[in-house]
Amino acid sequence: MTETQTPAIILNDLQKRFGVGDAEHYAISGIDLTIQRGEFIAIMGPSGCGKTTLLNILGLLDSAVEGEYILDGVSVDSLSRRKQAHIRSEQIGFVFQSFNLVSRLNVIDNVSLPLIYKGLSRLARTKKASKILHDFHLGEREFYMPNQLSGGQMQRVAIARALVNEPSIILADEPTGNLDSHASHIIMQELSDLHQKGNTIIMVTHNPDLTTYASRVITMLDGKIDTDTFRLPIAKRSDEKIPLNKVSKKSSRKKKKEAKS
Amino acid sequence: MRLLILNHIQNARQSIKSNRLRSTLTMLGITIGVASITTILALSAGANKVISSQVDALGGNITVIRPGAPNKDTFNDLSQLTNDNQFTLSTLTDADAAVVADIPHVKAVAPLMVLQGAVTGDLPAPVNTPVVATTPELETVSNLSVSDGQFLDPNLNPMTAVIGPQLSVEAFGTERSIGKTIRIKGESFTIIGVLKRTNDPVNFNNVDFDRAALISLDSGRALNQGTSSLQQINVQSDSVEHLSGVITEINKALLKNHFGEVDFNVLSGTEISQPTSRMFSAIAGVSVAIAAISLIVGGVGIMNIMLVSVAERTREIGIRKALGASNGDIVAQFLIESLALSVGGGVTGYLLGYLIAFGISTFLTFDPLLNWEIATAAIGVSIIIGTLFGIYPAVRAARKDPISALRQYE
Repeated sequence: MTETQTPAIILNDLQKRFGVGDAEHYAISGIDLTIQRGEFIAIMGPSGCGKTTLLNILGLLDSAVEGEYILDGVSVDSLSRRKQAHIRSEQIGFVFQSFNLVSRLNVIDNVSLPLIYKGLSRLARTKKASKILHDFHLGEREFYMPNQLSGGQMQRVAIARALVNEPSIILADEPTGNLDSHASHIIMQELSDLHQKGNTIIMVTHNPDLTTYASRVITMLDGKIDTDTFRLPIAKRSDEKIPLNKVSKKSSRKKKKEAKS
Repeated sequence: MRLLILNHIQNARQSIKSNRLRSTLTMLGITIGVASITTILALSAGANKVISSQVDALGGNITVIRPGAPNKDTFNDLSQLTNDNQFTLSTLTDADAAVVADIPHVKAVAPLMVLQGAVTGDLPAPVNTPVVATTPELETVSNLSVSDGQFLDPNLNPMTAVIGPQLSVEAFGTERSIGKTIRIKGESFTIIGVLKRTNDPVNFNNVDFDRAALISLDSGRALNQGTSSLQQINVQSDSVEHLSGVITEINKALLKNHFGEVDFNVLSGTEISQPTSRMFSAIAGVSVAIAAISLIVGGVGIMNIMLVSVAERTREIGIRKALGASNGDIVAQFLIESLALSVGGGVTGYLLGYLIAFGISTFLTFDPLLNWEIATAAIGVSIIIGTLFGIYPAVRAARKDPISALRQYE
């Protein structure tokens, strides 16, 4: 993972507007962001600051009204919807706060769901899903229905599902939001392990404690990036976790401006 | 589309299974529609088959002359059925029958003059008992045979009659009525023969011989104020090869007889059964159209259930989209589900339709026909219904915005 590689994600003055006329407001009003491969980013901020919207745009579920989003060197505006769906299938894994397992499918069918859209045969899907469930120590739960699992187990199933396609980017929207601290810790450990393996992880969270797992912390406010711990060189970041409170707002803004100029 | 189709089918099966009652009820709509269409088509095809197989059974050397100008129009043909022509004077005359009999290679000529009037034996016979005045050749031309006694004979007293077994039962209470007297339009006839049961109420002579009284042409004329009015002339050539030549000759001779007016119809092969089969087709067509309405109702049911299903699974659609399903994948998923419903209903309906048709046919004189056209129609119609009524819910599902879909509670 060297910096000479194309960054995984580049955002240029990204804007997203909701509503029309008087009700119009910007969920995202001008975000510039470069994310390198192998980063573990925690996005923080108060409710309604545009974190989830940003994540949805990164995951190609939503589109920006203005600005540019370059994913792996390709501007996504130029991609057809079908192609975007293909990217979601191949490169992006989603983890949601509410797990979003399909309740009428059992665990293994849920995990093999993304493989369907890759065109794998049923046998290949089941094999692959079974393997990844074993890796997550859920091998004995393969034929459980989601409502028979605990929250932590459900989220682990959801992470297994996000990973089964071997995506390069994992987007997690408050993955521990519905879990107790013990389960949260396990989930974060899983994400951290994935990060060690070289995956790019972008996680939205409300919980400041979780930022210790991240290699880079971004805080958002009113649709803009407020602070960013980007400055540290990658090698340093990976072995030293910087808690959020050590980065002052002022210095980060200053450094950002410097970086721009 | 890769292996997705297979997967969509598995998916549809699972979804239908998990809502078993709802799916069954939805399918029922299509089942009823397809079953009624299958029943109607199978029975009408069976009826048509009866007539055409009768013509075939006669050896392919039969041609039939009917009054009236040839007409290609289906609806006019319907009104040309002999039974409906009771009040029209026929354009065919004894002279025509005589001319046809003189044509070379003609083996037998049987003119048919169908009269109606009171027929009474020991008991009064039913009101619509047909009285057929004809020649003895009818026996060979129409493949009739007597079970008791003898057929009409020109050498016998003209006041003799041959009656069908059913008429015998109805007028005398027995099938053995030889020697008894039957009164036809006030005249007394002695019964010299009883026909063998044919069980063919639908045939190219348009006469149910089981219920008919056969008398000689001369007696018929006497009952019809001395003139004859022929509904049909059946002609048999001596071989199949000569039939086409004979038909040409008949046309020439009759044209001459009728002073160049084409007011007759020489029919052969399937043409003979055409007016009858067209009538059956028309009846079947009207019934099918009515049954089609129930199919449309069934289709609306599918659409309704699919819309509910899409609404229920909004969140699932969001998840699938987030996991990489394209709009096309979602359309295919829901379309295949609606197709599974309609085709499932269609296949059940097809089987049920035949079951009903065979049930009904125990009360009829013919069997329903099994052929691939009806199967194709039944399955084809259900595929069309499934696609037609499934496409809108499927497109609606695919158009759902993944973000708001994900936000929805299950």
